[in-house]
Order: sequence, then C-alpha cells, then structure tokens
Amino acid sequence: MKRIEVKLSLGVVAPLLDVIKAVESSLEDELAADLPMEQVDVDLRDDWRAELVSEQNGDVARLLALFDSDFFASGTVAFDEDNADSILKACAAVRLRLRDRFLDQISDEMLERGDVELEELDDDDRRAFMCYLFLATVQELIIEHLESGILDS
Amino acid sequence: MTINQAQTSPLPTVEAETDVALEGPWRVVVLNDPVNLMSYVVLVFRKVFGFSETTARKHMTQVHEDGRSIVWCGLREQAEHYAFVLQHWHLTAILEPNETD
Repeated sequence: MKRIEVKLSLGVVAPLLDVIKAVESSLEDELAADLPMEQVDVDLRDDWRAELVSEQNGDVARLLALFDSDFFASGTVAFDEDNADSILKACAAVRLRLRDRFLDQISDEMLERGDVELEELDDDDRRAFMCYLFLATVQELIIEHLESGILDS
Repeated sequence: MTINQAQTSPLPTVEAETDVALEGPWRVVVLNDPVNLMSYVVLVFRKVFGFSETTARKHMTQVHEDGRSIVWCGLREQAEHYAFVLQHWHLTAILEPNETD
C-alpha cells in the first residue's frame, strides 16, 4: 500500500489544531455547509442529512486523530490509501466551515486567488485562514501522491 | 377488434405517463463554491462517475466559470444516489428535473 509521511513544524501546526477542534465542536449536529434539499423527498430528507452529518463528523475525527502523541513526538503524520478519502473529505468540511464562520468577509474571488492580506485579519481570523491554507496543502499532497489509490478504492 | 380494445382500455396509457413523470429523467447539477480546490473537484468527479481526466476537468471548468455543470442525467433514483455521494464529498450537488427532454 502506498503511504506518504509528512514532517510538519510543531510550532506552526499545533495552534491550527485548536482551530480544527473548535470547528469539530461546532459541527456536532450540523453540516459544514448548507445543502439545497428542496428536490429530495421530504420523507428521505432527515435520514439523508443525518447520514451526511455522521460521516462528516467521523471524517473530522479521523483527521484530528492523525495529530496524536506520536505526532507531537515526531512531528510526522502519515497518509495512505486507507485514510486518504476520509482526510480529504474532512479537510473539505473544515475549510467550508472556516469560510462560513471566520472568512465570510473575504470575497469569493479573493479567496479563490488566495489574495488575502493577513495584516487586515484579526488574530482569530488570521489563524483560521492559516488553518484553511494548511488543510488545502494537505489535500494537495494527498491528491498528488495517492490519486491512483483513491480512484481504485 | 384491435381498435375497440384500445378505445375501451385507456388506463395503461395514463399509468405509463405517470411513471415517466415520477421516474425521470433528472439531472445532477454541481454548483460552484469558492472553497474546494480544482484538483479536488476533478478527483471527486473521476471517482464518483469514472470520468476521464479530460471529462472531469471539463466539468470542473464549467462549474468554476459558469457556476454550474450538469454532471449526470437519468432516472431519479440513480440521480439521488449520485447527488448524495457528491454531498458526502462536500460538493454542492442538486437535483433538477430534466425539462428539456
């Protein structure tokens, strides 16, 4: 099985984990982003949403589990074909929530271009944006190195 | 004889029309969002639909530039399945009746 190990700076990543944990708490019974459900059968809608929330929260828990005592000892996290799908989805969920809760003052165009002036953000929003970028980097690494395994699974 | 049977048995025709209205066709449409990476969206399209890289990239570009792309069209049940899976991947997928057919 293909596996990649990534060495991270503890000093940079540790504060971002608090952001992810805060997002995890806020997602307990909610989807990261509202979804239009008008065309879904009314009878199905509650179960549909509940299953999405359950899988979303499982994915985010799996993302946070990467940063365990071994990570704080070694600074290393590992991605493989077993956890790639969950980690990719968790990163997407947390990024969507960060955009909704902390980065909503940034226009879509600026966010897509990454054209954001960090000095103009307050401390919480700056940390949220750094987390947003960090999770995008995790997604890019996984896609670059594990794409074929993800497509075959 | 044949003509008479048709004239006195209208119900099957009505049922057939009802089935068409309920069962399809439906579209799965993906809407743009400013958050998900282009490479991520391409990967999801390839994984969920088995698209080639070229086809997945074409749909991703359409979502990005036009705000939406019809990624699948067919029976309602299968359309629901695809929309559900795309939503698992946190793409904004919606169902629409395919009114052009």
